[in-house]
Amino acid sequence: MFLWLRYLHKKKIVFLSIAAVALSVALLIVVASLFGGFIDVFEQSAVKAIGDVVLGPPVKFSKYEELIERLERMNVVEEATATLSAQGLLHLGKGNVRGVEIWGVSNLDTRFSKPERVSGNEYPVSKGKHPVYGFVGIGVVAEPDEETDEYDFDAVKKLIGEQAVLTMGAVMKAQEEGKAAVRRRTVKFAIADVVFTGVYYLDKELVYLPIEELQKVLYPNGSEGVAGQIQIRLRADAETDVALAQIRGVWEAFATEHLRWEPYLIRGTVIATAKQMQSKYVAEFRKQMGVLLLIFGVVSLSAVLLIFCIFYMIVETRQKDIAIIKSCGATNSSAASIFVGFGVCVGLIGSGTGMILGDIVTKNINTIEEWIRVIFGLKLWKSSVYMFSKIPNEVDWESALLIALSAVVASAVGALIPAIIAARTRPVNILSYE
Amino acid sequence: MYKIILSFRYLLKRRISYLAFLAVALCVFIVVVVMTVITGLVRDFKVNNHKWVGDCIVGTESLVGFAYYEDFIKRIEKSDFIEGISSVVKSYALVRGRDSEEGIGIEIMGIEPVKHSGVTGFGETLYHRKNDVSKAFVPAHDPNLVGCVVGIDRWLVRDAKGRYSYEVSPVEAALLVSCFPLTSKGALAKAGAGLVNTKTFYYSDTSHSGLARVDSSFVYLPLEEAQLLCGMGGSVKRISAIHIKFKPNVKLEDGCDKVAALWKKFIEEKKGEKQAELLDTVTVQSWKEYRRPFIAAMEKEQTMLTIMFALVGVTTVFIVLVVFYMIVSHKSKDVGILKSIGVSKVNIIELFSCFAFLTGLLGCVVGVFAGWLFLLKINQAEDFLFEHFGFQLWDRTMYAIGDIPSAIDLKVLGVIIVSAMAACLAGAFLPSWQAAKLEAVEALQVSQL
Repeated sequence: MFLWLRYLHKKKIVFLSIAAVALSVALLIVVASLFGGFIDVFEQSAVKAIGDVVLGPPVKFSKYEELIERLERMNVVEEATATLSAQGLLHLGKGNVRGVEIWGVSNLDTRFSKPERVSGNEYPVSKGKHPVYGFVGIGVVAEPDEETDEYDFDAVKKLIGEQAVLTMGAVMKAQEEGKAAVRRRTVKFAIADVVFTGVYYLDKELVYLPIEELQKVLYPNGSEGVAGQIQIRLRADAETDVALAQIRGVWEAFATEHLRWEPYLIRGTVIATAKQMQSKYVAEFRKQMGVLLLIFGVVSLSAVLLIFCIFYMIVETRQKDIAIIKSCGATNSSAASIFVGFGVCVGLIGSGTGMILGDIVTKNINTIEEWIRVIFGLKLWKSSVYMFSKIPNEVDWESALLIALSAVVASAVGALIPAIIAARTRPVNILSYE
Repeated sequence: MYKIILSFRYLLKRRISYLAFLAVALCVFIVVVVMTVITGLVRDFKVNNHKWVGDCIVGTESLVGFAYYEDFIKRIEKSDFIEGISSVVKSYALVRGRDSEEGIGIEIMGIEPVKHSGVTGFGETLYHRKNDVSKAFVPAHDPNLVGCVVGIDRWLVRDAKGRYSYEVSPVEAALLVSCFPLTSKGALAKAGAGLVNTKTFYYSDTSHSGLARVDSSFVYLPLEEAQLLCGMGGSVKRISAIHIKFKPNVKLEDGCDKVAALWKKFIEEKKGEKQAELLDTVTVQSWKEYRRPFIAAMEKEQTMLTIMFALVGVTTVFIVLVVFYMIVSHKSKDVGILKSIGVSKVNIIELFSCFAFLTGLLGCVVGVFAGWLFLLKINQAEDFLFEHFGFQLWDRTMYAIGDIPSAIDLKVLGVIIVSAMAACLAGAFLPSWQAAKLEAVEALQVSQL
């Protein structure tokens, strides 16, 4: 320990190896945290948008209220809602027409939290003079600023209460021929609120209406309301596998009793967690992250070379120290352990510094990105490219610890050969008078 | 001469200097491989975008479109810098199969296939009608029907190796395309009738532009049919854009400036005419400006990766510094002798800079060679990994990427080599300076020997 401190104090060049280790560790932590954070947000955004579990039959179905009631009686289910979706055109004014996806939802008033609603309202909107009201994603009615990637919320707020027209194509059978034909169905609605979830796709594409209104538009002749899927939120303590099995049981009983569906339709119903539905993409993202970390890891190997160089130099210049220690009776392994231990020490200090640096950079990544934009005019993160408005800024401590541990081991490896050279030093040769 | 001899001597005799060149080689190898792949992807993406758009686009984002395009086309056709012009209609539509009750929202693009292929790479993107673009909208099974070309990812599935299972001849399939026609004022046409414009098109071919977003969301229709569907085919016809290709000797910026000037003059002349206000929404852009949101995203990723490599590259500078520091410490006798015979400080710095240059050069040669070798086999290596371990760098069923780009860009290579040499020289500077400061009288003292 005395020698470690002495070398640290006397050999300023050791700080270079500490700096190299710190730099590599910080970089790997930042990459792992940002990429890992992105994947987590990606998974969470799906859960937020469609719930924990989605029940999606191959065709639309009626009597969904009964199914929801049954599901909500289960111990594992917190809430279940029916949804119906369609595609159409949103007419916002003269010549302002865009393609949108329309979600009819049964819990429109409570679906979005207060911060997600641009109006800041928490509770149902007043319908005002329009009997039909709906929410629109912020990207549907506004474009983010080209430079800052931020929306003008004041301008967007002014749209609340304005009227918009949705045009959809409803496939209806003409009575005389029995052939299906697309009829234009329009629905005028008041924009009751604008939704800003921070997930680009949801904000850019979606218009939300009460499910009953969408049913009236798409199925004007239907006596019963239909749903496309059921979105289910599980209780916090529910076990996913158990919950999925129970939900499937309830669904099979419901579809047999109430819908009188054939077994193939019942079996063809997808009942999966939002995470399972995203698993293919998540696996791909994780693979990309692994490849990126591998590349930077390999490049970081040069830090091992650096430690080797510096320790080799120390061993060469401090042979007298080693010889004296050995002449006092220290074994080869003791001499070697001084340098391996010193390598570990360098690794620990470098990793510690790297972790602090990585933590600071990751937590302030949005500020750093903003400064880069201000100084260099370069907007690195855009929601239209990376899906989310903010860069995930949580440190992935699990990966960080693994990286730090690897850095300590790598430092010890870098010190190993110089340590062996030190162990093989013969005092009689070094300390001879000549 | 002595500088070169000593540099070579140090490089060959001092085994520690191998470490410096090894570090340089490692960094160069990684950077060459990664930057080649990334640059290749960006380059391919740009080329595909250029092919999809043409050189210049005169168009509007509004779904209403703009009128008097034929007059403008007649005018610019006379220009000596224009090679091809294509009128295009773009809009949204609902598409469904004949027996389906579910409509899917897609984007439609109305084009005249021959003219559009003369401006863009549309003809090359076809599969069945690649050699006869004029028949792009003619279904093989019945030439009397009106065909449509579907973005390949809407129609065919990519297998794990990124290949599409093309049919021998296009299958017989009818697609019902429904559009909501707009008036020139932007209101819904036929408002009282509750009707949409629906027409049945028959699948005639697929288009593989190599742009994932385009190939998964576009259906191409004959221009006139698209105009009718979108309500743009009245007495005053409208379109969404004019795509232009310049003659080979015309610079992109010059060509776009000329078109912009002609357009400005054209608007002035049309002022006061019916629907002339629609012309104000039209912009003239080069293909780079038009696709900037997409291209810039990839370029930024390239920039970020470069910055990260630059940060990691700092370690290489440290290694060179340490190695040179050691060599200078061990060779203080040489330095003392050189100085005692009158060698100046500058020459000592030059000696070690020459040594650093050699180290960097050797590292670059080895790194570039290893990188080139790796890139040469990168696709085979990926195939091997996929066949034996199921690993792919990119899942081809998800990404519109074919082979991994492996052609080294000489400009990028030049930048990498220059950066590596600069890193070596930077790392060697401090030790060289220290050596230059050594006094012969100190270095050659008996106690120092």
